[in-house]
Amino acid sequence: MKVLELHNVHKIYNGSEVNVHAVNGITIDFEEGEFSAIVGPSGSGKTTLLNMIGGLDSPTEGKILVDNTDLSTLKTSDLIDFRMWNIGFVFQSYNLIPVLTAKENVEFIMNLQKRPKKERDQRTMEMLKAVGLGDRANSRPAKLSGGQQQRVAVARALASKPKFILADEPSANLDSKSTETLLDIMEELNREEKITFIFSTHDNRVIKKARRVVTIEDGKVISDENKQ
Amino acid sequence: MILRTAWKNVWRNKTRSMVVIASVTIGIFAGIFAVGLMNGTMEQRVDAAINKEISHIQLNRETFRDNDDLHLTLDSIRERNRKIRNMAGVEAITNRLVVNAIANTASKSTGIQLIGINPDQDKKAFNLHEAVIPGTGSYFNRESRHNLALVGEDLAKELNIIRYELHNATMDSLRSAGIPENVLKKLNPMVDKRYASQDLFVKDLKKHLTKKMLEAHGQKIMEHAWTFRERSRLTLTFLDKDNVQTGGMFRIAGIYDIKNSMYEKSHVFVQKKDLQQLTGLGAQATHKIIVRIADREQTKQITEALRDAFPALQVQNWKEISPDLAMMTSMIEKFNAVFMIIILAALSFGIVNTMLMVVLERTKELGMLTAIGMNKKKVFTMIMSESVFLSLVGGVAGMIVSKIILMLTNQNGINFSSAAEGFEAMGFSAHIYPTISNTFFITVTALIIITGILSSVYPAIKALKLDPADALRTE
Repeated sequence: MKVLELHNVHKIYNGSEVNVHAVNGITIDFEEGEFSAIVGPSGSGKTTLLNMIGGLDSPTEGKILVDNTDLSTLKTSDLIDFRMWNIGFVFQSYNLIPVLTAKENVEFIMNLQKRPKKERDQRTMEMLKAVGLGDRANSRPAKLSGGQQQRVAVARALASKPKFILADEPSANLDSKSTETLLDIMEELNREEKITFIFSTHDNRVIKKARRVVTIEDGKVISDENKQ
Repeated sequence: MILRTAWKNVWRNKTRSMVVIASVTIGIFAGIFAVGLMNGTMEQRVDAAINKEISHIQLNRETFRDNDDLHLTLDSIRERNRKIRNMAGVEAITNRLVVNAIANTASKSTGIQLIGINPDQDKKAFNLHEAVIPGTGSYFNRESRHNLALVGEDLAKELNIIRYELHNATMDSLRSAGIPENVLKKLNPMVDKRYASQDLFVKDLKKHLTKKMLEAHGQKIMEHAWTFRERSRLTLTFLDKDNVQTGGMFRIAGIYDIKNSMYEKSHVFVQKKDLQQLTGLGAQATHKIIVRIADREQTKQITEALRDAFPALQVQNWKEISPDLAMMTSMIEKFNAVFMIIILAALSFGIVNTMLMVVLERTKELGMLTAIGMNKKKVFTMIMSESVFLSLVGGVAGMIVSKIILMLTNQNGINFSSAAEGFEAMGFSAHIYPTISNTFFITVTALIIITGILSSVYPAIKALKLDPADALRTE
């Protein structure tokens, strides 16, 4: 089942001197349960593409459908709600709320979703255990290593039960060991829970683990390799 | 959850938040204390004016106040007195005879207003009897075959009825008052000398003390060194009922001090019976009926009732007799409002500045929150709550500090003795008891909350305008 479809998506930034064509007519779709990587050199349009898939940015032209919903038809406020219920984000620099503990960070999005406390508590601990941080629930981000913080970010992204998770350069700030641990956890969640992961990366360790690798350059898909 | 996160965010940068909270606390305290001080000063002035100078309401013949004509006495005084006493809200009345006069001593003379009173009756409407300086005599309590006069401290000084001297007992009282030993040592050559005037005493003080010592202790030394000249006399000259110059020799009954130099210099009290006799106006002659009421808030209503009851007389309340007091009271109220507006505006700018900095510093985080699904309403609420918490914590701390310090200072007052001369010249006491009404406290609390909310609107709007994709790119 398709969770995400992109139809002839363009993104043009109007510069003061020249217009930049960051995404240039991409048409692609992603099935439920994929573990995919969008790869390409810096400036190839990976992050722009990911932002548009996540509804953080809108295409200049073309359509993006998430679970058959055209993102361009949603009002800003509906789009925020749509993201909350359907898309999980993992950012390059973790972006945890520093004044909240790991548990509170994970629970935060479920609070926004107004889920009952019992369900929140249970799922928070489940997610933290799934990323191997059940014993660090009450630690604040400053007390965690970079790898641990990114695992909390993954747990947070999973907590809202999204359709898919977008991870923008998740390993960029991590050492090899942390990257490996993180990727193993995500791969396990993908296999066992059928959670769809879409990475934007140029890290070979991530590319190696991904089962589908979409390569883009100058805003265009130049290859789409399915390793399965 | 949003409120809890906002509260935690307040303490994210403890130093900055504490600086903001401290500045709000200090600002609120400064504002409230200054207002308390001004209120206290004004309340005391109004109380002093009512209790010692003019009371609440006065009745006299229509043109008496304009020309002080001796002949404009009130008729049917007993009947009028009875009628007024029986009116609701009236606490006491007194009758006064008022005559313009010249006070003379061997060295000086000055124009004054001579007020004839019945001491027992007057005590019920005024508490001037409590203002007689201990050791200077009494409030017409002693029997004397002479006419007696109660004069103000400043008139006594002006007419040289007092003198200055330092003796061993004075030195001991100065020591107890905290004058340092080195200063007292310097005063030794002045002990047991008598000075006929303040000028002569100050001249000698300047010879023995350094300028610094004089500035620090001069006022206190003068307060302890002056004494009343026993059995001093003064001559009071005025016109009688036939407009013939008359007068009499008066012994000083006592010296009063109501902390109002102008009043003290221009008002001398004598017994009404003596003045009636000397002016030849007769035993019932009275120029003014003065009414003291039980509740100051009832002034306007009772004034109107008296006007209805005595349409032929001029009836004026304290605000009309002393419009300067009424004006000052209203001016102080306006000044207090302006002062609080300035303090709240400063508080507002502090909060706006801090919260803008917060939004700027947390751009990436705010972008992330919007990305994961925190809607604009919640972002707005969070930023607003942070501002309100900041202003509330500072505001409440400021209120508590103000309340405690006001309670402490209200018990013992604050003595601005070094500026006593200036205060008393304007009719104000230099010993001020700051006071604030509960209504004012509640109003200020409400205003702080409103200011906190209003100040947070602009930073919160800034946060709302952030584009999540741009915000996430911020380093």
